[in-house]
Amino acid sequence: MTFLINVENWEWSDIFTITLVGYSVVFLVLVLLIYVFKLMPVVLNYKKRKSVEPGGAKMKGTEAHYVAGEVNAAIAMSLILYFNEQQHDDESNVITIKRVARIYSPWSSKIYSVNNVLR
Amino acid sequence: MRKFATVFTIMGLLYVLSAFFGQAELYAQTAGASSGSLANALNVFWKHTGFSSVDYKYLLMIAVGLFFIYLAIRYNYEPLLLVPIGTGIIIGNIPLMEGFQIGIYEEGSVLNYLYFGVLKGVYPPLIFLGIGAMTDFSSMISNPRLMLLGAAAQLGVFGTFIGAMAMGFEIREAAAISIIGGADGPTAIFASSKLAPHFIGSIAIAAYSYMALVPVIQPPIMNLLVSKKERLIKMKPPRAVSKLEKILFPLIGLILTLFISPSALPLLGMLFFGNLLKESGVTNRLAETARTSLIDIITIVLGLTVGASTQAVRLLEDPVTGEMVNKGFLTSGSIKIFVLGAFSFAVATAGGLLFAKIMNLFLKEGNKVNPLIGAAGVSAVPASARVAQQEGLKADPSNHLLMHAMAPNVSGVIGSAVAAGIMMNFLL
Repeated sequence: MTFLINVENWEWSDIFTITLVGYSVVFLVLVLLIYVFKLMPVVLNYKKRKSVEPGGAKMKGTEAHYVAGEVNAAIAMSLILYFNEQQHDDESNVITIKRVARIYSPWSSKIYSVNNVLR
Repeated sequence: MRKFATVFTIMGLLYVLSAFFGQAELYAQTAGASSGSLANALNVFWKHTGFSSVDYKYLLMIAVGLFFIYLAIRYNYEPLLLVPIGTGIIIGNIPLMEGFQIGIYEEGSVLNYLYFGVLKGVYPPLIFLGIGAMTDFSSMISNPRLMLLGAAAQLGVFGTFIGAMAMGFEIREAAAISIIGGADGPTAIFASSKLAPHFIGSIAIAAYSYMALVPVIQPPIMNLLVSKKERLIKMKPPRAVSKLEKILFPLIGLILTLFISPSALPLLGMLFFGNLLKESGVTNRLAETARTSLIDIITIVLGLTVGASTQAVRLLEDPVTGEMVNKGFLTSGSIKIFVLGAFSFAVATAGGLLFAKIMNLFLKEGNKVNPLIGAAGVSAVPASARVAQQEGLKADPSNHLLMHAMAPNVSGVIGSAVAAGIMMNFLL
């Protein structure tokens, strides 16, 4: 096995090398990801932007292509409320009791009386 | 306090009981009990019980296990982790007579088979698969510059590495300990299984304990480093992210990060794979399994075995001197690891907060970031993001930082896995 650092006889310079290189690589990886994901919306919307630009309406960067999440939430909420209102409007407007239920209740039944006197 | 007094009284009673039975054993021996007699049978039975070999160190560890369970149930601190780990600590510290294939370190025992997954680093990548399948990276994709905070918080890893070297640890041990600063349990276990397997228990317990204590550790550092004015900064809401971007993220992330740090392949490979299962939209069943049943099973086994590996006393022969040395949990090494763990969490939090403040120097008004979300860069998903949210709400009840804090939070996961990979690149 080959070691980049002599693990038995290390020096403080090795430790600082690992620290500096390691920290820089973590940054490098994430900075690369940042650039990729900053560029991605631009690349993905390249065709769309080209088709819009000749018409005159120029779009600035990527912002114009996306709607903020809270705007989406507001639209969704208004749609839900709208459809709920529709359901409300469709109701029959009949508020009378259709059927009077005569449910048996033994509260005054003679058969449960304490004294069932034979007649 | 009364509950603790009760626990310690019970412990004391157990100890007195063991001392009493020890005398009984001595009596049986001096009386010259013949084989087959009741006294001898009792003596044999006694030797097989945990009381015969109990030591105050075992009782101390059992108290630690009970304390973990108490924290989880009473204060709801990471209960999914602390209950299995706490129970594992109790299981691992029941004094046993060796040779019956019962203990976690005895070959052929059930616990030993389960512990194999920890020792060989099988469980952490499976946990990462589940994390990938349950994480929504859209807040990070919508505002990629916040990833820098996740990178900055890795200062905890590298600061602890220097600290551990200064405290006299061997270089690979120091590297394994430093990953505690990544505030990511599976990554810490994975790195220590490769770099310092004899410290897995201590490192895992330190990492998970401090992760559970994130709501206690981070707010004082936030109060110290972030001014009242900075806490009031309101950030722009994140933009909506298209489905295509979400699908491309795991693929690009996988290729890019692993080409730079191939040692992080088992962790990041599984993380991005899990995320692809979630975002592809065609593998819902697999994603559902990965984020529910699979991760639950692995959490149970991992927590229990990591807890059980913290045997207080474990006498092993020193390869150099030939003397029997305690390689168990209760050693000066473990105490140092706990000290370094606290230090690493503090440094990581400070790193994220300070970097956010530095970023603000270069950002225009309106684009500034609230420095509180820098603390979420320490990983510990989602506890540290929740802390940023709560601290933000304390300053301004209408300022919700959770979505913004999730970006450094998940990039911290990637950052800590990359940092662990780099350590392994250098030292394996």
